[in-house]
Amino acid sequence: MSAKPLQVNPIKLSQPMGATLAFLGVKECMPLMHGAQGCASFTKVFYTRHFHDPIAIQTTAVNDITAVFDGGDVGIVTAVENITKKVTPKLIGLFSTGLTETKGDDLRGAASKLTLPVVWVNTPDYEGGFESGWALSVEAMITQLVKPSSTIDSAKIAVLPHSTMKPIEVERLKEFIEGFGFTAVALPDLSTSLDGFLGEKQGQLSAGGVEVQDIMELASSMAVIAVGGSMAKAAGLLAQKNPLMKTVTVESIGGLGATDTLAKALCDLGGRPSEKIKRWRARLQDAMLDTHFILGKAKVVVAGEPDWLVGVCSALHEVGATVSVALSSVTSPVLQNVKADQTIVGDLEDVQRFVEECDMIIGNCHFERVAKKYHKSLIVRGFPDWESVGSQLFDDCLYEGGCGFLFNAANTLESHRAHG
Amino acid sequence: MLARQTIKELYNESSCSHNAEKKSGCEKPKPGATTGGCAFEGAQISLFPYADAVHLVHGPITCLGASWETRQTKTSVAGYDFTQMGFTTDTSVNDVIFGGDKKLSDAIDYCVGHYAPSAVFVYSTCVTALIGDDIDAVCKDAAARHSIPVVPVHSPGFLGGKNFGSRIGGEAVLEHLVGTLEPETTTPYDINLIGEYNVTGDMWQYTPLLESLGIRILSTLAGDGRVERIRTAHRAKLNVIVCAKSLVTFTRKMNERYGIPFISVSFYGKRDTSRAILEIATALKDDELIERTKKLIESEEAKLEAKLLEYKAFFAGKKAILNTGGNKSWSIASALQDLGLEVVATSVNKATEDDIEKAREYLGENAILMKVPGVEQPKLIKEHNVDILLAGGRSLYTALKNKIAFVDVNQEKKISYGGYEGLLNLAEDVMHALKNPVFKLAGSTAPWEVES
Repeated sequence: MSAKPLQVNPIKLSQPMGATLAFLGVKECMPLMHGAQGCASFTKVFYTRHFHDPIAIQTTAVNDITAVFDGGDVGIVTAVENITKKVTPKLIGLFSTGLTETKGDDLRGAASKLTLPVVWVNTPDYEGGFESGWALSVEAMITQLVKPSSTIDSAKIAVLPHSTMKPIEVERLKEFIEGFGFTAVALPDLSTSLDGFLGEKQGQLSAGGVEVQDIMELASSMAVIAVGGSMAKAAGLLAQKNPLMKTVTVESIGGLGATDTLAKALCDLGGRPSEKIKRWRARLQDAMLDTHFILGKAKVVVAGEPDWLVGVCSALHEVGATVSVALSSVTSPVLQNVKADQTIVGDLEDVQRFVEECDMIIGNCHFERVAKKYHKSLIVRGFPDWESVGSQLFDDCLYEGGCGFLFNAANTLESHRAHG
Repeated sequence: MLARQTIKELYNESSCSHNAEKKSGCEKPKPGATTGGCAFEGAQISLFPYADAVHLVHGPITCLGASWETRQTKTSVAGYDFTQMGFTTDTSVNDVIFGGDKKLSDAIDYCVGHYAPSAVFVYSTCVTALIGDDIDAVCKDAAARHSIPVVPVHSPGFLGGKNFGSRIGGEAVLEHLVGTLEPETTTPYDINLIGEYNVTGDMWQYTPLLESLGIRILSTLAGDGRVERIRTAHRAKLNVIVCAKSLVTFTRKMNERYGIPFISVSFYGKRDTSRAILEIATALKDDELIERTKKLIESEEAKLEAKLLEYKAFFAGKKAILNTGGNKSWSIASALQDLGLEVVATSVNKATEDDIEKAREYLGENAILMKVPGVEQPKLIKEHNVDILLAGGRSLYTALKNKIAFVDVNQEKKISYGGYEGLLNLAEDVMHALKNPVFKLAGSTAPWEVES
């Protein structure tokens, strides 16, 4: 952990931003950020530029007077009144910020005064980060929405993706589980909300995602699969709603080994893989051999959220690439599983010297300037990616996405070597 | 802390026309019905373009983490370009409990030690303002320790919106920088550019013209800015506000303190660019300069018109609707008219009283000023046979449904539309949008659906 008194060119993002994204994966939800208007505004602009689509979010717009005199309930109740003048959300995702946590607002109390369905969650931005904000919101949705059950649907699996899984990756994960003969419900489900599609009513409420009704009925799942260490707690909470439910946590779905672990778990749950899945595994094996000549000699700097780092570094490690440094935005127990020479928690400034000596960077678009300066190849991944179009549809996970990821990495590196 | 009196004053700027009619100045944002940035963002917009100063954000990670490297504010500064870097104390729960003064002080030392900036701006935000960190004292000590300006900017987001934050930024510059250094030389033609942030290099579209007339940019707030220059701003003969009502407080106070007059101009479109240059020359009260300026404008306009011929022929008879906010509601309208497009309507729901007046002036008597553009624009497109909609991303579907061209004017732009040359960039973008078949195709009905 860096002992600096500040961050210089941070990659860290805040808990309320993670919470926003989680609630955008619920259909017809209005994420409501309890804070000053800027928190929501920055977040909205951030995601609008990342996804190239309108983003639904509202704010309680705390001002200098309400900051002192309102315990939060007036602002929150008024906000919901004003929202419902224009739209009728199926869910309000209410979450706090540093400002409203510092003044000690009672979200639970305020939520109890609302007539609409609401999930509340404390997400101060002076604690944790993007990944934990996402995870805390999923935990809150499970605790507050899911109805306990004592029976199971033997085909149904609940899957909890981590914060940095792209919309297409959530879709492919559901299909993968279905390819083993199950049905899958993802919470949150960005694959139908921020996948970049042309819809009619843009951005008033979240455009797609998992239905609130389906969240409420999640306890009938025969198993819950958490993808990433950050989602393990949420899986445990869901399993508490039904004593018959099995719990599986996979640390990632990046590369052959991690995908095999998931596949093995699905077999243990009674599933059998489709022919298509078997074919993609064989293709990935071939892709690994095709790319190892190029990637096997590569030194890579990887930067992002902890759970995502685990997957990417593992996929690179499998073809002999050296991750000279994995830069994490925040600390996490999973960092000890990252396949890298060094793992550090810090900012862009902290990895500068590693960048100078590497061949390739995989990180967010803030690395573009660095890559240009040191003439390094760059694959933009994670948040934010303001420059690429279509990032929501780039699949890097499981057998199929794993092929794409390795080919992309090898081609990027080779083209950079050849043309600079 | 900002004194209560100062906050009141900033809220009730007497030079804003809306304050002549309303009792309260800047309105409080409505919970659940608010879009737009906060006071911190406004301060950031107005001051971050000083590329030779470190901008240290004293707050938790949302404030800077989501917002650094977002604006294409170009600079010619050599060495570190601090406008494209992010510095934050990343307030932790420990700081909230025990106070963040020590960490802030250490962070300032770190910035000065590692990056040798010519100044440090320190921004307070909601959390650090609420826990009562004394940034004034920390900045004062640090300034003495390092012998460079360390400027406290009191910009907690809960104080208000972006405009208000820009005023706070101006206030910090006025109190801590302006008048603290004498320029090496002065000329009778020294001006300050206020509220020009040089986004995508907008400012560089017209500053060469001013310089060719012998007009000197003494300092800017803050496009391609230098802290050393703004410290000498009190010696300018004229303050020029560029498309930014929010800094009128700054120029009014400069007028009171230093007797510097101010004018407000826009550099979007041909007519506005010409008018702006002439107004500057006129305000400098030199007949010879005014004559030279008129000649320059004539030759620049002739050059531009020659390049616009082809575009104008293409745009003849084409109709546009504009749906955007603030000064863009009239400045882009004016630029579109310069290209020969008819602007049927513009939105004024997010505009100030001044902007509405200007919009009316440009669009003429029959102008349609949309108060609820979301509802009005689909109707207007049909009624007036409109060819192109220029709006934010939310309106894309309206354009597709009506099978007309679309330009996202609210998207962070990558090239400049400013000055004479910028108008050609706008012409190019509008022409390509009008020619592009994508709007008809992308909005087409699926083969398995019946056309409605």
